[in-house]
Amino acid sequence: MKKLEVKNMTKRFGGLVAVDDLSFKVEEGSIFGLIGPNGAGKTTVFNSITRFYNPEEGEVILRTKGSKIDLLDYKTHQIADLGLARTFQNVELFGKMTVLDNMLVGAHNNIKTNFLIEGFRLPGFKKKENQAKTKAMEILNFLGLKKLAHQFADSQPYGVQKLLELGRVLMSEPEIILLDEPAAGMNDSETDKLSDLLLKIRDEYNLTVFLVEHDMGLVMDICDEIVVINFGKSIMQGTPKEIQVSPEVQEAYLGGDDEF
Amino acid sequence: MAFFKLFNNNPYFKYILGSIIFVIIVFIDLQLGLFASRTVNLLIRVVYFSVVAIGFNILLGYAGQISLGHAAFMGFGAYLTAFISNNYGLGFLPTIILSGLIPMVFGVILGLVALRLERLYLAIATLGIGVTIEFVFREWVWFTNGFSGARLSRPEIFGFAFNNSRHFLLLSTIILFIVILFTYNLINSKTGRALSAMRDSGHAAQAMGISLFKYKLIAFALSAFYVGIAGSLYAYAERYVHPSTWGAELSLDMLAMVVIGGLASIGGSVTGAGFLVFVPRLVQDLPLIGEITNINFILTGLAMILVIRFMPIGIYNWFDYKFIQPFYIKRLNLNKPGGDD
Repeated sequence: MKKLEVKNMTKRFGGLVAVDDLSFKVEEGSIFGLIGPNGAGKTTVFNSITRFYNPEEGEVILRTKGSKIDLLDYKTHQIADLGLARTFQNVELFGKMTVLDNMLVGAHNNIKTNFLIEGFRLPGFKKKENQAKTKAMEILNFLGLKKLAHQFADSQPYGVQKLLELGRVLMSEPEIILLDEPAAGMNDSETDKLSDLLLKIRDEYNLTVFLVEHDMGLVMDICDEIVVINFGKSIMQGTPKEIQVSPEVQEAYLGGDDEF
Repeated sequence: MAFFKLFNNNPYFKYILGSIIFVIIVFIDLQLGLFASRTVNLLIRVVYFSVVAIGFNILLGYAGQISLGHAAFMGFGAYLTAFISNNYGLGFLPTIILSGLIPMVFGVILGLVALRLERLYLAIATLGIGVTIEFVFREWVWFTNGFSGARLSRPEIFGFAFNNSRHFLLLSTIILFIVILFTYNLINSKTGRALSAMRDSGHAAQAMGISLFKYKLIAFALSAFYVGIAGSLYAYAERYVHPSTWGAELSLDMLAMVVIGGLASIGGSVTGAGFLVFVPRLVQDLPLIGEITNINFILTGLAMILVIRFMPIGIYNWFDYKFIQPFYIKRLNLNKPGGDD
């Protein structure tokens, strides 16, 4: 079954067409990669799906709990509640908050309290809060960050921040996660660990993973299917093996004959 | 040892202990007349300015939104208290709550403005409100009694009249502690986390399902409510409300309290309020320096510069990190910093 479908999406910035009539489908439970040369419009695709941008044309169909929804009918902050969560290319953490609080923000939609219950600590508060805290500690333990729970997020090294952002996404109990360059700034051994982690996350939490990545090693290792885009247009969609031997993709990355 | 452990592990403990000590002091004072009545009046000022600073800190320290027009809400709360108790004769509690709720509605309207503006532009726009409001209060005679100022009688709860300012100090302190506990609880739960998240990264907050629209309005509404309540306490304490009190200077004083005391900290808010009330008074008694006119503004400005330069986290937080937390860690052999704010 298809989890996410992008149909004929077009996003323009003034005269520049950043995403041009793009269509692809993401299979449920798969790890799906979106690759392309610099400036191909990958992050724009992400931002359009998660409603930070308004695409001019097209549809983004998400299948969740048996029903089909067009994400373009929703606002940015409603997306998380539909079971779609994302990370950012430049790690966006809540720096002045602790690691644990960062995680708990991820559970924002799952903690059903209002300010009166919170302010006066009315019955029901403790249970809901503790559920979220227990879950946060489980995920931190899973990611190996348990010891850092009470430290500030912006005092953590880059690798930890990346993991924390991943953990925060898991807190929102998503069905599909969108990762914007999860391996950026990591060395080879860290990237290897990340690919293991992503596979583990997919199996443990029953997720669909959709990632944008520059690191070809990672993409070719773990992705079940890949779509390649250039200048906002889809060049081809296929398995890593098909992509590797495709002359069109090589042309997009390395340039065509006429440019030499 | 067990005592320190209790202190560190139970976040309420320090507030409850603080309030018990305070109430005991005030009771002894009631019997023996420990403080001069001037000191009692200053303490009342500290109490209502603490409520103001906590409200302002929710906005600036936690939610990261700025307003330089918050004196308007305090003035509005004070005038509402005078108006309601003079014309409708409602008791203390309904009056003070109404004096918080009505400014809250205007706070929401200011929040709608804040959705469109950010940072410096928001500061400029709200400063405009702060400057204008003084003149609005002067001209709006049927509500504010214009230049002559509004007067009101002593507060009364269930037939008990607070004729003595020492009694009123006790009452306002109880209100302050309710405000502190409510705020503390709120900050350490979903709403508070959402406000801080919005301050640190708007994009990530939205991606996690936080509606910036909703939480900006909540921040402005809450802070206007607190400041309105503080205005009401002001009116009951001074029993005279004059338009020139609510100028831009007061809004800037609120900013100074929060910055000097400590951003995003309840203790810092109270410290800042205490600083701004007591320090100018103490200096006024000094020879030579005390004779300079407007010495309080000079001092506030100087203190702000020094705090920003040498302890940007604020006096309270600086003291907390430097002395109190290392003390706990040493005593309890903790390897992580404790405490919550």
